[in-house]
Amino acid sequence: MKKRKKNLWILSVITVIFILFIWWLVTDKLGIFSSNTLPSPVKIVKTFIKKLSDPNPDGATLIGHLLSSLKIVLSGYLLGVVIGVPLGIVMAWYEKADLMVRPVFDMIRTVPGIAWVPVMVVFFGIGFTSKAIVIFIGAVVANVINAYSGIKQTKQVHLWVGGTFGASNWQLLTRIALPSAFPMIINGLRISLGGAWTTIVAAELLASNKGVGYMIQQARGILRPDIIIVGMVVIGAVGTLLMWPLGIIERKFMKGGKW
Amino acid sequence: MTTKTPAQEQRDKIVYGVLAVFIFLVFWYAVTKLTGFGEIFPDPVTVLANVCDKFVNPIGKVTLVGHILVSLRRVLLAFGVAAVSGIVLGVTMGWYPAVEAIFKPVIEFLRPIPPIAWIPISILWYGFTEMSKYFLIFLASFFVVTISVYSGVRSVDPMLIRASKMLGAKDNQLFTTIIIPSTVPYIFSGLQVALGNSWASIVAAEMVQSNSGVGWIIITGQQSSNMVQIVTGIVCIAVVGMSLVMVMRGLESKLCAWNRQGR
Repeated sequence: MKKRKKNLWILSVITVIFILFIWWLVTDKLGIFSSNTLPSPVKIVKTFIKKLSDPNPDGATLIGHLLSSLKIVLSGYLLGVVIGVPLGIVMAWYEKADLMVRPVFDMIRTVPGIAWVPVMVVFFGIGFTSKAIVIFIGAVVANVINAYSGIKQTKQVHLWVGGTFGASNWQLLTRIALPSAFPMIINGLRISLGGAWTTIVAAELLASNKGVGYMIQQARGILRPDIIIVGMVVIGAVGTLLMWPLGIIERKFMKGGKW
Repeated sequence: MTTKTPAQEQRDKIVYGVLAVFIFLVFWYAVTKLTGFGEIFPDPVTVLANVCDKFVNPIGKVTLVGHILVSLRRVLLAFGVAAVSGIVLGVTMGWYPAVEAIFKPVIEFLRPIPPIAWIPISILWYGFTEMSKYFLIFLASFFVVTISVYSGVRSVDPMLIRASKMLGAKDNQLFTTIIIPSTVPYIFSGLQVALGNSWASIVAAEMVQSNSGVGWIIITGQQSSNMVQIVTGIVCIAVVGMSLVMVMRGLESKLCAWNRQGR
């Protein structure tokens, strides 16, 4: 059994090498695809290294673009979390608020973040504010909905037991409902962070003068697919890295083991 | 807490839902009429009137309905192809370790890239054709469906598989009576997410580059500073997005009625 596992691992490596080899073959070696459509893997690695320190052709280095995007994402996102999570908890804890606010949130949720970009651009121009607000809207909605559903899933029996033993409303919330809701809340943090990162890329494709989305959009205009692909890979990698602290928080604070 | 019958609960939900939306609209109307906000943002009556108007009078080349249909066709065609191929690949990946070893690294590498980041390269490769949209929507759905189905097949209770093998089930029986039924909820959750992704991606793609579709409506609204048109577009996106989710949920509850108890 162990032997078989090892063989499969080798199979994965071979596949990756094989794909890279074919890719290199049809681009650099045989020239079936010109470097204006599909650049070779070698070229992409070279572009990546060069772009780290070279602000050409779009006015900023890869690091500069990344920092610009991250700044917007984190500002909008953190504000969205700080407001969204407590709001979701309050909505779920007080029944009446819930029935009224929930449908409105359900309605807003179906609008993808990107669709707000034109509205905000008309209001605030293409700078920092308009994009941060678009990110904020997306983050608030996702966090409210998840915190809300988390609290709602608290087992009624647990609350009854707590009540029987004389827990106050506040104790019921902090000792029973919040720990029960924790996995859902973390899930909301994760979903909204992913959404925020996607949205910033989209917003920068449309209206921006800096950022990773802007970089790949500019590269399309001047037929530089190597920069586009570098940008895409970096966007994917940073998106994954952003999730990392959330995993740590989840492992550290989640009580009661597995769900 | 007083217990209510499901029918009563359902009725309460609808009543409060309608009421909430109504209050929201009144609030929107009041804000635009009573504050300076109204100078830059249209009130709901104007938007609604515009939506009705554009049902018969064209925006650009076609009417509102035309634009919605264009976007829907792009999404549904590519989503359909992605759903079928994603389910097939997901099931085979979950079942055959060799297939898993071949495809998993590639998918894990491509999956974190948001579909929207594919827009520039799709335009570069396919130009301003319909194909560039199909390509994008395919990517937006394919990975999500594949991974969801794959993890579904992997999480089939091994006890069930062993038990049925012991009782002499053949491979194809195992497949149709155990693997597929227990994977169906995962298939649906994958499809649900994928459809939502696709709808958001088509809006983004049409905003970046196209000459029709709901995304195009709001971006041309922006270019001509026509806020009524932008909001009209947003309303359409919300309504169509919500309908897609509801159709999907309806299908799911028809096909997985047996699963609802466990939720």
